Amino acid sequence: MSRKRVALLVLLGSIVVVPIAQAQIKHIEMRVEGMT
Amino acid sequence: MKKSLGRQSGVQTVEVSLIDGKVDVTPKEDGQIDPAQLLKATYDSGVSVAELDMIARGKVVKDSSENLVLQVQPNRSFVLASNELSKGLEALAGSSTLVTVRGQLYKKPAGKKKVDASAPLKLLILEVQKKE
Repeated sequence: MSRKRVALLVLLGSIVVVPIAQAQIKHIEMRVEGMT
Repeated sequence: MKKSLGRQSGVQTVEVSLIDGKVDVTPKEDGQIDPAQLLKATYDSGVSVAELDMIARGKVVKDSSENLVLQVQPNRSFVLASNELSKGLEALAGSSTLVTVRGQLYKKPAGKKKVDASAPLKLLILEVQKKE
């Protein structure tokens, strides 16, 4: 496989992977009862 | 309870306010945090959860049952409860757009004493903060 093709695959892969990697739960807040 | 929550995977810090009964959980960036596990850990520590809200960023996709879901990790997603805000996100389903939403994942049912912890959690979007 040519270097150009490998580079293109890496580039396309990073485009697909990065948005998922950035997705995340940023903060959680709970309201609780019965806490002492 | 603070110690118990702090031991859960993906949890970075836990702040507890005794005065207003609020628990703030800051997740690590490893994406391992599981809100359902936090709910269970809280119940197991003898405290009743009235409400769980979260801010999450993810992609809107449709699952195999055509439900609209917010995918926050490749292996973690939340079915969106239908409301005006979720309908507004329907057009983004399957696109690469990342949305940041504030939503309610759990609210204690009125009048019920026993809570079914195994019931799947649905995310009721309260605010769409960002689309990118």
